[in-house]
Amino acid sequence: MNDSAHLVKKLPNDIGGVEAGPIVMAEHTLLPWEKRCHALADLLDFKKIINTEEKRRGVEALGATVIGSLSYYERWIVAFGNILFQKGILTPEELARKMDEVEARHAGAGEV
Amino acid sequence: MSAHEHNHEHGHDHPHAEITAEAAGYYEIMETAVRELLAEKGLIGPAEIRRQIEVLDSRTPALGAKVVARAWVDPGFRARLIADGRAGCEELGISFYDDTQLIVLENTQEVHNLIVCTLCSCYPRPVLGLPPDWYKEKPYRARAVIEPRAVLAEFGTTIPDDVEIRVSDSTAMVRYLVLPRRPEGTEGWSEESLAELVTRDAMIGVVPATLPESVQ
Repeated sequence: MNDSAHLVKKLPNDIGGVEAGPIVMAEHTLLPWEKRCHALADLLDFKKIINTEEKRRGVEALGATVIGSLSYYERWIVAFGNILFQKGILTPEELARKMDEVEARHAGAGEV
Repeated sequence: MSAHEHNHEHGHDHPHAEITAEAAGYYEIMETAVRELLAEKGLIGPAEIRRQIEVLDSRTPALGAKVVARAWVDPGFRARLIADGRAGCEELGISFYDDTQLIVLENTQEVHNLIVCTLCSCYPRPVLGLPPDWYKEKPYRARAVIEPRAVLAEFGTTIPDDVEIRVSDSTAMVRYLVLPRRPEGTEGWSEESLAELVTRDAMIGVVPATLPESVQ
């Protein structure tokens, strides 16, 4: 038996019916950036830029390792970046530069 | 000089704190960057994000509870709600801010309904708000469709063996809401009092709607 076969038969999101442990009832209130990320997802959907199904596929395309390591909204924002690159709406370079700019701004604000 | 002292006091110079801060901030920075770039391109407006956050904050299980309570007291409304869940909610002034359809699943003596999204986290957000973490995580998504009775037991819910359990798997376009059974002993209760018995988890289907212990 090839033990990689399950990776091909079922993509990372397709977990209905697989074995899993007990349900952990813990809940958390969304962090401000997580709520902004959710609102962004809704707007991208309303404006027909990224719909729910594209978002789900975008998360799935991150692969099992990334999915398993990132939190829910971390996966979303990374998926949005990739989808926006694929659609030619953003370029990786643009995003990298903007992230540097935002980071520098945060660092600057932190020293005030 | 003072800048250095300032940083030091707040631990910014410690490598450990820096790593932690960076790890926590990377995705938040990405979110800000994506949002600002889209705004610069005129694709979204900052006011739209704020407005949508207000919409999200306005959606709580109290809306779903209002729908359920109305369905319990008004058979005509219940029939319309089951025929078209979205139109039923809209009749009560609950707007749908997305393109999703809503199917309301009525629990009866013969059938108990449970909702899940095995692929991700689709949920009737316009009427319940955002889903709890456990709804989005693997154990519930994986197990609800294969061993619903064991899953229900973890929520303290036992459904008699002669009651069928139906699990409905949500999609991007079709969402579900469980209409729980009205608890016995609530004859003559006001709609407002009934709505207080209806919890988020009862509308997901993992628990029944019950009387408060003080009344039981």
